[in-house]
Amino acid sequence: MANVRQISVFLDNKPNQLTGVMKLLKENGINLRALSIADTKDFGILRMIANDTDKTVEVLRKASYVVADTEVVAISIPDTPGQLSRVLDILGSDNVNIEYLYSFLGKSDKSVSFVIRVDDNDNASAALEKGGIIQLTENDISEM
Amino acid sequence: MERYWNKEIETMSREDMKKLQDERLVAQVKHVYENVKYYRDLMDEKGVKPEDIKGTDDLHKLPFLSKADLREAYPYGLLAKPLSDCVRIHSTSGTTGKRVVAFYTQNDLDMWADCVARAITAAGGTNEDVVQIAYGYGLFTGGSGLHDGSHKVGCLTLPMSSGNTERQIQFMQDLGATILCCTPSYAAYIGETIEEMGIKPEDLKLKAGIFGAEPWTEEMRQTIEKSLGIKAFDIYGLTESSGPGVAFECCEQNGMHINEDNFIAEIIDPETGEVLPEGEVGELVFTSITKEAFPLLRYRTRDLCVLSRKKCSCGRTLVKMAKPMGRSDDMMIIRGVNVFPSQIETVLIAEGYAPNYIIEVDRINNSDTLDIVVEMKPEQFSDKVKDMQDQERALALAIKTMLGINPKVHLVSPKSITRSEGKAVRVIDKRKLHDKPAK
Repeated sequence: MANVRQISVFLDNKPNQLTGVMKLLKENGINLRALSIADTKDFGILRMIANDTDKTVEVLRKASYVVADTEVVAISIPDTPGQLSRVLDILGSDNVNIEYLYSFLGKSDKSVSFVIRVDDNDNASAALEKGGIIQLTENDISEM
Repeated sequence: MERYWNKEIETMSREDMKKLQDERLVAQVKHVYENVKYYRDLMDEKGVKPEDIKGTDDLHKLPFLSKADLREAYPYGLLAKPLSDCVRIHSTSGTTGKRVVAFYTQNDLDMWADCVARAITAAGGTNEDVVQIAYGYGLFTGGSGLHDGSHKVGCLTLPMSSGNTERQIQFMQDLGATILCCTPSYAAYIGETIEEMGIKPEDLKLKAGIFGAEPWTEEMRQTIEKSLGIKAFDIYGLTESSGPGVAFECCEQNGMHINEDNFIAEIIDPETGEVLPEGEVGELVFTSITKEAFPLLRYRTRDLCVLSRKKCSCGRTLVKMAKPMGRSDDMMIIRGVNVFPSQIETVLIAEGYAPNYIIEVDRINNSDTLDIVVEMKPEQFSDKVKDMQDQERALALAIKTMLGINPKVHLVSPKSITRSEGKAVRVIDKRKLHDKPAK
């Protein structure tokens, strides 16, 4: 199935943590497609989709960041009312449990994209395919 | 009318007290020099002979003892009597390798009980009182110290030990306890629980509390006094010098009278070791002049405080020490429980964490808080917040199982905690003691 790789980085809850990561990406010419931060009282988790996942992971690890490389589902849907609701119905009816999701700009201004983190990617992909939802691949991401 | 347990001593003129201290010190130095090789070596090294000490004015000539000496001399190195003359052992903590043990002859225990009896009497206790002892019993000096003092006064003694708060409150009600003895944080907790249970202070017969073994503030005193409907008295002591009862508070509640017939107090500059004049803040140093089995001379307590000889309205002439403003020791007392960084370290290592951590202790709304900042393991990282928080909770639970108190665990990046080349500063105690020293 055509999944997308997400890079997550552990960030301490203190100033300039995100700055450090972004500087590193800039220095290495890495472009981000999508980004989201989950924050708790103690720490933050930066999640991102990059145009070159391998390189991103490598430079971050070299700089001693704690990094995780996970496969997530990414979709592209029309930018009209009720589209996300439709997607959630499809996943819900197949009992796919969503951990989190975040949106990013689509391929065109008529569409919008989402990263969806589930526990079972295969299940989710199958359900989305059955429901006629466009799923993005690593190729799609790097060509964006 | 102020009541005293030992009026002669407690109201003795300064002149007579100095004479008594002079005699006792001279005899004690001789006893220690003859029987304790460890201290004899320290004196020889300093070139001081027992004959050089003719009274308290010569006290400053003697070498200091520190906790490090006690550890080095563990267990028998500072013992001044044959074990056959000793009847009791207490210890500062039985859970780390760094424990300090103290020995007591029957005379030592009698002296200690006499000191505590003075404290109970100063708090208004007589043989008509029911004394509930909610200090821990065991190696810790709190339980048995107050217990023996309560017996001496002839109080009806309830040896509850600490914990089981609802049973404490039930006994307090059913058996009409009038004086409560425990740590101040436990007293505050009992006060809160009473309120939760819908019991009013006036439903209890309690009139006084004697609270010690950890630093506490004036604010805390007011909270405890209100919640339990009592007068709360501070008591000071340390295992090294016997236990609680070295100094005690009177009705003025603004400092503790030191039992000077048994302990000579000095305030020194912690850096230079130089004796400071009365009224200056410095490190409290004690010399036991009557203890037989474990007679420490010039023991550095690490407690910072100030002494005052101002006339006290209670009539006692014993010198007063202000509440200590801080203790630079490695033991923390959190919610009345002795906690050593090494215990937390043990759990971290057992759970697979690196022994790099910071312990933050604070007091919020009169309750101690314990926060532990730990470096995470790279392989435990997850992009899901839930997973990370579950791991924090699991570690907190393991620490709670070890210590008996609930910490908050905060995971931070690997290697983000500053490494130290010398002795690592692992403990940040933010509990502010707002009390200013009595001038």
